[in-house]
Amino acid sequence: MDKLFTKNIEHESAKKHVTGKAIYTDDIPEPQNLLHAAIGYSNCSKGIIKKIDLTDVINSEGVIDVITEADIKGVNDVGPIFKGDKIFTSKEIEYHGQPIFAVIAKSNILAKKASLKANIIVKELKPIITIKDAIKKKSYVLKPRFLNRGDTKNKLKKSENILSGELYSGGQDHFYLEGQIAMTIPQEDDNFLIYSSTQHPSETQQIVAKVLNQNFNSIHVVVRRIGGGFGGKETQSFLFAAIAAIASKKLNKPVKLRVDRDDDMIMTGKRHDFYFKYTVGFSNKGKINALKVIMASRCGISADLSGAINDRAIYHIDNAYFIPNIEIESYRCKTNTVSNTAFRGFGGPQGMFCIENILENISQKINEDPIKVRKLNFYKKNINNETHYGMKITDNVINDIFNQLIKKSEYHKRKKEIQKFNDKQKVLKKGISITPIKFGISFTTTHLNQAGALVHIYTDGSVHLNHGGIEMGQGLMTKLAQITSHELGLSYEFIKITSTDTEKVPNTSASAASATTDLNGGAIINAIYKLKSNLNNFIYDHYNVKSIIRYENDYVHFDKRKITFKELISKAYLNRVSLSSSGFFKTSKIDINTKTLKGRPFLYFTYGAAVSEVIVDTLTGENKLLQVDIIHDVGNSINKRIDKGQIEGGFIQGLGWLTTEEISWRKDGNILTHSPSTYKIPTAGETPFKLNVEIYKSGFNKEEVVNRSKAVGEPPFMLAISSFTAIKDAVFNANKKKGSANLIAPATPENILKSIY
Amino acid sequence: MTKDNINFILNNELVSVQNIETNTTVLNYLRNDKKLTGTKEGCASGDCGACTAVIGEIKNNKIQYKSINTCITFLYSLNAKHLITVESLEKQNLHPVQNSMIDKDGSQCGFCTPGIIMSMYGMYVNNVKPTNHNIDKFLSGNLCRCTGYLPIKKSIKDMYKYKKNIIETKKIFNQLKKIKKNDILISKNKSKFFIHYKLKSLLKDLNKTSDYYLLTGGTDLSLEVTKKRKNLNNIFYLGSNEELKYIRVKNNNIHIGAATTINEIIPVLEKYYPTFAKMFERYGSEQIRNTASLGGNIGSASPIGDSLPVLMSLNSKIITIGKIKKIIYFDDFFIDYRKTKLAKNELVKEIIIPIYKKNTLKCYKISKRIDDDISSIFMSINARVENNTIKFIKIVSGGMASTPKIAKLTQDYLINKEFTFDKIEKAKKIIKKDFNPLDDVRASKEYRTKISQNLLERFFNEENNIKSSVY
Repeated sequence: MDKLFTKNIEHESAKKHVTGKAIYTDDIPEPQNLLHAAIGYSNCSKGIIKKIDLTDVINSEGVIDVITEADIKGVNDVGPIFKGDKIFTSKEIEYHGQPIFAVIAKSNILAKKASLKANIIVKELKPIITIKDAIKKKSYVLKPRFLNRGDTKNKLKKSENILSGELYSGGQDHFYLEGQIAMTIPQEDDNFLIYSSTQHPSETQQIVAKVLNQNFNSIHVVVRRIGGGFGGKETQSFLFAAIAAIASKKLNKPVKLRVDRDDDMIMTGKRHDFYFKYTVGFSNKGKINALKVIMASRCGISADLSGAINDRAIYHIDNAYFIPNIEIESYRCKTNTVSNTAFRGFGGPQGMFCIENILENISQKINEDPIKVRKLNFYKKNINNETHYGMKITDNVINDIFNQLIKKSEYHKRKKEIQKFNDKQKVLKKGISITPIKFGISFTTTHLNQAGALVHIYTDGSVHLNHGGIEMGQGLMTKLAQITSHELGLSYEFIKITSTDTEKVPNTSASAASATTDLNGGAIINAIYKLKSNLNNFIYDHYNVKSIIRYENDYVHFDKRKITFKELISKAYLNRVSLSSSGFFKTSKIDINTKTLKGRPFLYFTYGAAVSEVIVDTLTGENKLLQVDIIHDVGNSINKRIDKGQIEGGFIQGLGWLTTEEISWRKDGNILTHSPSTYKIPTAGETPFKLNVEIYKSGFNKEEVVNRSKAVGEPPFMLAISSFTAIKDAVFNANKKKGSANLIAPATPENILKSIY
Repeated sequence: MTKDNINFILNNELVSVQNIETNTTVLNYLRNDKKLTGTKEGCASGDCGACTAVIGEIKNNKIQYKSINTCITFLYSLNAKHLITVESLEKQNLHPVQNSMIDKDGSQCGFCTPGIIMSMYGMYVNNVKPTNHNIDKFLSGNLCRCTGYLPIKKSIKDMYKYKKNIIETKKIFNQLKKIKKNDILISKNKSKFFIHYKLKSLLKDLNKTSDYYLLTGGTDLSLEVTKKRKNLNNIFYLGSNEELKYIRVKNNNIHIGAATTINEIIPVLEKYYPTFAKMFERYGSEQIRNTASLGGNIGSASPIGDSLPVLMSLNSKIITIGKIKKIIYFDDFFIDYRKTKLAKNELVKEIIIPIYKKNTLKCYKISKRIDDDISSIFMSINARVENNTIKFIKIVSGGMASTPKIAKLTQDYLINKEFTFDKIEKAKKIIKKDFNPLDDVRASKEYRTKISQNLLERFFNEENNIKSSVY
């Protein structure tokens, strides 16, 4: 293992974070004559617009102009893959929060005040809001998908036991602390410089260009860092960049659009909530023989990324279990609600939630320790190791992780103690549960698995690094600088990390799917390989050496000599050696049949497991997470401090999804939870002090990923399913007859109480 | 002499302000006027803490510091205060709270970090012990979406281990002392902002003004500006009025000045009503408790204000002043949704809480999240059980109607009854008739009803030493 990767390097911006010196989009010194935009949006979910009267808006204090659909020179759409995400609507209302116009004023406050003064008359129509409603009316954003293996129908009939049920997992607002924001600055020739809080600068560039009806090369997007993304800025940021750009172009002035928290929560998409209906056949010991699942998700008004998200839910319905016969129907429901979008895990959590609930329900039905049932169903190393989509699993370590964690967490001992506690207590009941994860890494849309980089070496030996990834807190920049430093044998301090910039690295993919380090790291290595080839050729010629050349500790070693890296660079420059190179990377081996969904969608899998212990008050449903133990596989870690942060943070975010975070909609579709006073993400009090995270010690990526590390962004999110199943265990302990099959997510006190009585 | 400007110390600089709009928040002033962008806007409603800063005021001849949400604090309320923002913590070296956060990896995306640093600083300057309980309490008003909080908690545990940064407090103290506490009247574009340091001048100005807003913590009022985008014409800031800020115990009564903050009340309550004090620890967040006043909670008369059912169950009284002084029982004070008996040009001066030495007080708060959450239902029970007979009982609930509501039928049934499980089971049936709650985002009607029943059972359990709470 390389020393650099075992060094304790903190987040590259840590010092700037704690001093307030880290610059986010709203902190960039404002250009002179900057104007501010605010969006006027619909207050109902469906209807025909009869009149849009903006007189009072225009006459409001400080207002410069208003923009509507008529001001769009190009396409009125910010949809990423499929069309359907209108910027402004003018004839019909399709969801609550749909933009109708934007007002441009001298300040953010005046713009927002003016935006509330519009007189818009709408003839309201009956909207489709719920998943069940959409299914009934066959209202879909995309065609249903099916995936089958074996003979589910017959095998179900022949199973020793059959269990049927329904499940529901709720949506989730991203609640990145930095809200959506973009600032556009006109340049020469109608070009625009855009600062945007986005996970996807290249697509921002492309979409803004199409909206303005200009070439892609006239739009320049720059992102230094964003204040959290979690998928919420993969496509949802485009709308704001586009509106600011339309205004900038119309008025030839810089325009900033910073969205208020409530407006952000109303206007942007969330995690898809899912409804599942299942029938499972299993042996008396709990071995699954056949499973039929109907899954349906609330996609909102447009397709956005819903296709790939629902595909990933299909791909993760097995989690770590071999299901010999399976029949999946997946429905992508179109509703009159804001279009749901990417969120950490991207459908994976919902798929896993389904199977983990099923396993828990099977265990309760046959009154067996769920740990046994889970282990019985695990994929094996040499047999039963092919997924339902036909991919052979060759890197399976779940059994090892599970066994280590059972021991480390003293699961069996604690389970007995809990039983004693429950026998004694009348009102309070405890529960404990262990769940595994197996999460596939790669974009399931194969062409997205590519990345670029640009590395410059200046004549003093310092290095300037660019790539296509976005720093959103995940420590990407730190890891990529470490990789650069490692490849060049050069101290970390000499590596300059700069803003991600569409003029430096073009045609990038979103920072998403956990694979940003894998992909961009690969591209950087490729760029440095080219640079080193130039340098090596120069050394061979200039110093007349034939030996191997090593780059280490700021020196270059060859024959028995060494010179400083700086000296080499200075000499190379004088001898006219190119000191700048781009790099490119694409993931190998992956391939899927887009019609059948079968093939190899992933390069590899990450694994992990968590044990949660909870206590539930059976009179109120109040509950508390008492202890969590985790072992998680990150391969051979590039930076353990950063990886640990991802595991802990992902876990708590998942906990929020499954416990406190509940999105409420009015019957007519208006979202009711659009502020932190009604939508509750976890606070410090939800995090147990006993949150013990261990990085899997034998972690190693069998595939050729940088440092043999593994992706870490999304997978730990799903470890929190163990907290939900622990609550199910507590509910079961409170009411053995009824079981916990009726508990839906999020497990709020109310939902818990409902499942007990 | 009334002044037409305010003076305060921003980090190390004495500033004077008078030409800025009266509705301006401290956050907007910092970011827009002073270009101090370390302090962030996350929600503009006092819920996320990204905007946290620390303010100091002279009290008992020294500066007392506390954390606040700058997004819901009005700029002009800063007169004669010291405002510390994240930019000023680093002196020759980083501050210990900053070093500790770096070493424990307390930041990821970093957007919430300045606010968290300032909450930690609020704890640090007051030398608060970093127990698990205190850590959760002091972090209750800061949301972080990346880290899951554990590294932040660890950095608080360790923050006192770092070498101290020397800060010149004497100079600040002397500067603050020099700022005269004259009444303030800021006029800007027909809007006015008043600060009175004495009751007499306050009442005089109040009588002359027809439409006005009374402001203490602003945890409710400021949202009219930051969310509803209203302009508040005449604001009377009461938070600096020493004649409204006191807590005294006299003749078996606790007397609390209306502008006294929740955190100033808690230590006294701990002595007489520990369950009430404990409830207040879950009231809003640390930043809110530092500025929100009891009078504000009463004046805004929200049916979900957590202190109201407790005060009602304790048969507390309110003293109002205006043209005349009135004493009103809590039972009679609330008329309808956010409507009280408070007449025009009157304000709450004092709250009087009787001390029931032989009674048990229960304060049950049920919410989705333990900290910084609004109750879906709140129940307060004040009871006295003698020889296993219920000799006194008062049950009041919040979140069950448009005002805090007394469970009259249940009380009538339980009084003088034996304190047995059977009787509680019967009372559970009766309490259903006491309330007719609504469905909303916090809970359904059915859940609220069920909980009101089950909390009676919890009361019985607790009195019989059966463990009944997960917290």
